[in-house]
Amino acid sequence: MWTPCGMARMRPHSSLKQEFLKEWIKGLQRCSFPKKSILERKKAIKLSADIAMASARNGTTCWSRALISSAARDGSDNNHLVKQILGPESDRPAMENKAPAREASVCKKILKRSCRIRRRGRRKCGAAAAAPSSIAKHLVKKRRQILRSLIPGGEFMNEICLIEETLDYITSLRVQVDVMRSLATASVRGTE
Amino acid sequence: MNRALPEMLQCSDMTVLQRQRARLKWQTEQLRQQNYFCELSGVFTSQTGFQQGGLMNGAGGGDSVLSNMGMSRQLKPDPGLETAWPELGKINMGFGSCGYGNGPSFDMNHAISRTSSCPPAVAAAVGSKPVEVKGNSEKMGSAVGRESFKKRKVEKLQNSKVVAEDEYKRIKASEEEEEESKITGPNTIKISNNKKQNSGDTSKDNSKVSEVQKPDYIHVRARRGQATDSHSLAERVRREKISERMKYLQDLVPGCNKITGKAGMLDEIINYVQSLQRQVEFLSMKLATVNPSLDFNIDNLYAKEEFPSCTTNFPTVGMAPEMTNHSPFLQFNPIQQVVSGCGVEMGMGMGMNSSDMALRRTISAPVSIPDASFLNTTCFTGPQQQIQPSAPWEVELQNLYNVAFTDTIEASDLEMEM
Repeated sequence: MWTPCGMARMRPHSSLKQEFLKEWIKGLQRCSFPKKSILERKKAIKLSADIAMASARNGTTCWSRALISSAARDGSDNNHLVKQILGPESDRPAMENKAPAREASVCKKILKRSCRIRRRGRRKCGAAAAAPSSIAKHLVKKRRQILRSLIPGGEFMNEICLIEETLDYITSLRVQVDVMRSLATASVRGTE
Repeated sequence: MNRALPEMLQCSDMTVLQRQRARLKWQTEQLRQQNYFCELSGVFTSQTGFQQGGLMNGAGGGDSVLSNMGMSRQLKPDPGLETAWPELGKINMGFGSCGYGNGPSFDMNHAISRTSSCPPAVAAAVGSKPVEVKGNSEKMGSAVGRESFKKRKVEKLQNSKVVAEDEYKRIKASEEEEEESKITGPNTIKISNNKKQNSGDTSKDNSKVSEVQKPDYIHVRARRGQATDSHSLAERVRREKISERMKYLQDLVPGCNKITGKAGMLDEIINYVQSLQRQVEFLSMKLATVNPSLDFNIDNLYAKEEFPSCTTNFPTVGMAPEMTNHSPFLQFNPIQQVVSGCGVEMGMGMGMNSSDMALRRTISAPVSIPDASFLNTTCFTGPQQQIQPSAPWEVELQNLYNVAFTDTIEASDLEMEM
C-alpha cells in the first residue's frame, strides 16, 4: 500500500524543525557575513535556508536534489555563497552537478519539441477544443505546468512523481516557514 | 413469465424497486415449485449471522453458510414460509440499510458470493434480501457485470471482487439452467458441481493471485463500457494512482476539502505553494533587516521552545550573550531582567514548560558568567523541581546550543578584538 514519501519518512515535526534549524545555522555560520546590503543578506539567509531544507531530505526526494544542484551549478550567481554554505566536500550530499544539468538540457529540448508539435496539432483541430472535457483537460494541463514550474526540478517528473514531490515540498516549506517565523519573532523580541 | 422476467429486469426503465418486486413474485413462484424452504430459512438465518459478521471474505462466508445450512434445518411448511416473508420483509429493511449504507461494492460482492455458494437460495431468492441482492446485482451487472476477464489487480480488494465476480458469473449461468430445468434433483447435482467449481476456482484464483504477486507487474481489470486494450488499462491505473495521491494532498492543503475537481485542487495547491514560497522570501527579508550580523544562535533556542508551547513572554535573555562582549558591569542587567521575567512567568503560573527552564539552565551553564550560579539559585530553585530534561529533543537542544553558542562566542570575540 503506497504511502506518500513525506508521510512515510515523517519523523515528528519538531525533530524535522530541529534538523532544519541546525543545518541552517551551520550554513549561516559558514557564510562570510556580507554586511553590504539587505538584499545580499536576505539572499544568504534564504539560500542557506533552502539548502538546509533540501539537505534535511538527504537526497531522497527529487526536488531536494534539483534544488541543491541548481543552486550549486557553476554558472549561477550565488555559486560562491552556495559553496560556502555547503561547506567542505565531505558534507555535501552525494549529488552530481553535471549530470542533472545535461539531463535538464536534454529534457528541455524534448519538452520544447513536444510543445511545438502539440501546438501545431491544436491549430489544426481548433474546433475540437469546444468540447467541455477537452477544455477541462486543457485547464488541468495548464495548472500542472504551473505546478511544475513552482517545484524545483518539476519539469523532469511525470505526474505521479510530481504530486508526491509536491506533498514533500509542501511539508518542508511549512517547516521552513514555521522556523523562520519563530526565529524572526524571537529576534524581534530580542532587540526590543 | 419465466423468460420474460429476466428480459424485464434487464430493461433499464424499471426502477430497482419494481424490479425487486417483480423478482420477488417470480421467485415465490419458483419457490412453490421447489421445496427448499427449509434450506432457505436455514440459509436466511445464517445470512443474518453473516451480515453482522463482516463483509470481507465472500467465498469463505459462502462455504460456511452451506455448512450452516446443513446444521440448522428448520422444516417449515409453505404457510410457514409465507409467514416468514413478513419477517424477511422486516429484516430486508435492516439489510437494505446495511446494504446501502456500507460500501456497496463489498456488500454486493459478499452477498453475491453468499448466494453463489447456496444456489438454491439464489434460485429461490430467499426473502427480500437475496431478491434485493439480485436486484442490485442486476443493477450492478449493468455497471460491472459483463466484464472482460482480461487481467486482475493484485490488491486484496480486487481479489475478493474477482472471486465474487467469478462466482457470480457462474451463478448466472447456473441460474439460467435452473430456470429451464426446474428439477430439484439435477439442481442438487448442479449445486454440488457449482460448489465444487467455485471452490476449485477460488483456489485456482488464489493460486493465480499468489503466483501473480511474485512478479511485480500490475494486473487490471477492465470495467464494462471501457476499452480493454492495454493502453487504457494502464491509463486507468495511472489515474487511480494520481487520485490517491491527490487525496493526501487534500488533507495537507488547508481548505481543499470542499473542492472535488482536479483543476480546482491543483489551483489550490499552486496557490498554497506560492504563498509558502512568498512567506519564505518575506521572512528571510525580515530576518535580514532585523539582524544585521546574521547571528541567530541564541534566538534559535527560543524559537525552538516556541514550537511546542504557545507564545510566552520571554525575557530578554537574548541580551545575555551580547553582554559577554560588553563590560562586566552590564552583566548585571540581564540577570535582573531574567529575574523579573522569571517573576512574571512564575506569576503566570507553573504552566511553564519544563523546556523553558531547561533552556535557561543551558544558557547559564556553559556561559562563563560568574552570575550564572546566581541565576540558578534565585530563579530556578522554585520551578526546578518541574524540570524533567528527559525528553530526547531537549538533549538535542542542549547539544545544539552548546555547539552554536560556543561558536558565536568565539565569533563575537573575534569581532570584538578586530
